[in-house]
Amino acid sequence: MREGATAASRPRRRSIEGSTVVFATAVALLLLCVGYPLLWLVLAAFGVPTEFQFGYLARVFTRSQNYGALINTLVLALGAGMFSVVLGVPLAWAAARTDMPFRRSLQALVALSYITPPYLTAIAYIILLGPDAGYFNRILQTITGAARGPIDIFSMGGVIFVIALHVFPFTFFMTYAALRSIDASYEEAARLLGARRFGVLWRVNLPLVAPAITGGALLSAIDSMALFGPQAFLGLPAQITYLPTRIYGVISAYPPRWAEASSLSLTLVLLTALGLLLQRGYLERRSHTTIGGRGLRLETIRLGAWKWPVVAFCGAVVFLSAGAPIAVLTIAAFSRSWIAGLTPANFTIEHFEEALFNNQIAVRGILNSFRLATVAGLCAVIVGASVAYIDLRTRVRGRRLLDYLAILPLGLPGTVMAVGVLLAFIRPPLVIYGTIWILLVAYVARFVPLAARSANATLRQIDPSLEEAARISGATRLGAVWHILLPLARPGLTVAFLLVFIPALSELSATILLYTGGTETIAVAIFRLNDLGQLEVVAALAVFVIVVTLLVSLPLNRLTARSRIATAADVQAM
Amino acid sequence: MAFIEMKGLTKRFGAFQALKGIDVSVEEKEFVTFLGPSGCGKTTTLRVLAGFLSPDSGSITVGGEVLSSPEYVVPPERRRMGMVFQNYAVWPHMSVRENVAFGLRYLKLDRREQAARVEQILASMGLDGLEGRQPAELSGGQQQRVALARSLVVEPSILLLDEPLSNLDAKLRERMRSELKDLQRRTGITFVYVTHDQAEAMALSDRIAVFREGTVQQVGSPREVYEQPANLFVADFMGLVNKLPGSVAGRNGEAIAVDIGRHRLNVVAHRDATGTSVTVAIRPEAFAFGEGTAGRVNRLSGVVTDATFLGSIVDYQVDIGGVTLRVQGERRSFCPVGSNVVLTVPVGDCVAMPNEAEEADPQRPPPGQNAE
Repeated sequence: MREGATAASRPRRRSIEGSTVVFATAVALLLLCVGYPLLWLVLAAFGVPTEFQFGYLARVFTRSQNYGALINTLVLALGAGMFSVVLGVPLAWAAARTDMPFRRSLQALVALSYITPPYLTAIAYIILLGPDAGYFNRILQTITGAARGPIDIFSMGGVIFVIALHVFPFTFFMTYAALRSIDASYEEAARLLGARRFGVLWRVNLPLVAPAITGGALLSAIDSMALFGPQAFLGLPAQITYLPTRIYGVISAYPPRWAEASSLSLTLVLLTALGLLLQRGYLERRSHTTIGGRGLRLETIRLGAWKWPVVAFCGAVVFLSAGAPIAVLTIAAFSRSWIAGLTPANFTIEHFEEALFNNQIAVRGILNSFRLATVAGLCAVIVGASVAYIDLRTRVRGRRLLDYLAILPLGLPGTVMAVGVLLAFIRPPLVIYGTIWILLVAYVARFVPLAARSANATLRQIDPSLEEAARISGATRLGAVWHILLPLARPGLTVAFLLVFIPALSELSATILLYTGGTETIAVAIFRLNDLGQLEVVAALAVFVIVVTLLVSLPLNRLTARSRIATAADVQAM
Repeated sequence: MAFIEMKGLTKRFGAFQALKGIDVSVEEKEFVTFLGPSGCGKTTTLRVLAGFLSPDSGSITVGGEVLSSPEYVVPPERRRMGMVFQNYAVWPHMSVRENVAFGLRYLKLDRREQAARVEQILASMGLDGLEGRQPAELSGGQQQRVALARSLVVEPSILLLDEPLSNLDAKLRERMRSELKDLQRRTGITFVYVTHDQAEAMALSDRIAVFREGTVQQVGSPREVYEQPANLFVADFMGLVNKLPGSVAGRNGEAIAVDIGRHRLNVVAHRDATGTSVTVAIRPEAFAFGEGTAGRVNRLSGVVTDATFLGSIVDYQVDIGGVTLRVQGERRSFCPVGSNVVLTVPVGDCVAMPNEAEEADPQRPPPGQNAE
């Protein structure tokens, strides 16, 4: 800057503001965590850096282990999507439009099904429906006298079942929202024209909410493809592989086949993107079929004699998705041997001692998980809030692109993100593989969309004039952010932090590819101890994770109400 | 050179040209109002003046120092200006005292001085006793006062006000209006005030700048813009006006004769009204009923077709042969519908103007919506 020459004729030169430094750092962090790994992911699919060819992508469809996994993934998605409709739609109808008792609790329990990490549900079902010793199978054995339990959870059906129990909340919440937005006048009009109640349900309500149901089912299907945990815990023993577990296998091979893993990852991304496009299309159709706003009247259906059968069905669903898994894990955690079940003689707390104090990997895992979730949460909030600020409060060129980059990982399965991060940080200039930092990068990348969306919604509600008033009163841009924006955004940003902290605490699908000795997390400990057959210690860890998750989720409702952010289901639905 | 000089300001937002060359100057201690319909650029100009927006071209100097130019914009915090926002922008997480004291921390005053200043300004704004309240516990009028106190406590040289009264109810608005005027006289601070309400503008301002579609149509005292509007838009915006299209029958310098229907009127020509077809603008209250008036007047005869009693005045529609006039008369001398009347209007109150461009601004509010 040649200041001397023109200083006389011009006022002070532009100096770099403190805020610019903060925001530039956040943008750099975003590019490093999301942009750089994705770039590597795409390049590596063509064999870069050693070569450039399309053969690896072709191999996805020619090598039988690969396309077998692809087909399994599609079957899983289809099955879980359809199953989510069977479970989610009746529950949504009961909760939204009937006088069923316990409607409120039903919503909370459905949310609980989603909050419980899906691999823990899978472990619970191993305990319940393992072919040899599963509690339920043993009961069936006694009844039927068969030599082996009749139900095998280690199967395609088992995987679909367990995953559907985790993903059906998508369908539930979207259908629920749609049903809550149909004005009674639609139904009354049909009734006046002679339709019976069932006819109204079939011909008026169902078509109106059909796009929401389809949208929810698609989200469930998309999410089911990405769930490494149940796929690994229930699929691998039966040698059923899906794309995430196949990618895991290809990377864990010696030497790792990077190009093939990247190609498989891109295929998975493509499937996800297709699903999301379809889903968006359905959501748009929804917007003009239902009405919203004030003055909405909802017709509530009196169930009468049907009350208890409906309660029984809804109860059964949430019992399967949340009640039974949590109960069974608790029982196993307190049992000397899980197979014997919980009796006074069999009761012990030694597994908790083992899990929380004695087992080295578990203890290290817990510490690491808390550290990672905390730091990842903070980083994601800083990045997300900065991106939201740049989008909403400045006219910087490319701010939309930045926004998009921050949302993008929402459509990327954890396994895929991990492959990208691995490719990017296993080689110079930034070698962080083997350290805990690579996990941090992966967590920030995976969960930054949750923070970004939540921060965006929060900042939108804060009128810019409040900051402008601070500026004109003498505060710099950074001062206005610090004294005005941040205090006002605190409840919303706390929600953003928790939305990252909760899934990061039990993250498995990316971690499993990135951890090394010393950087184990809770999920890794569970995975490894499960391999060793120490199901009781696994259960103790699982109970610990669920309790912590619930405790941390408790303030979410209150905070969300305070900052008026969308529900968890909306946050997930792009 | 005036205290504030805005020269040739332009600003574009995407495809929308918000400012198309704004030139306004403001003297020290003056109360100037930017008046115009929504989307006319008045708020944008104020925000450029505050330093929140940088101009695409043009410049703003205050006291001889360039504050805004396309090359460099002095940030808002270094302009020594105060601003009152339409929604008050009182910080909801701070008490009244914290709100008011906020700006003082940047003045490097010692604590006692700070406290004393806060104390004093709160008292002068009638806010004493409310120091510990949170904004949510205040009425709209009280929040308004907090916003004012907050911007005045730092003793700015210029106070910017962006439609500060538009969120208050009618009675309170009236009261705050006179308080604002009083405040400006007392403090001697230069006020730049933005509003779309012409009555407010006339009541408060030393001078008014009338904005339209990113340009300034006229700058003048309230009397000037009302009585000698620069064009039909300004005439229209400043109050009710009859716009009578006619053809020029004779011309003698500034005085011309115009045929309107069966009447020939002697009128004053606006300097731009050079064509043979003009529009004559006459305010409804310029008419008087009956022959009685002396001096140079026009006489018009017609029939009352409608009469609306509005309390202090009566609003008439008078048909003068194919042309309907809006006339305001006194309550005492009521002319019932159907009566034949003679109207007189001073020549000086009839102004011939160039016809309005065909593409009149569709967003313009109905003429003289605030005249009653």
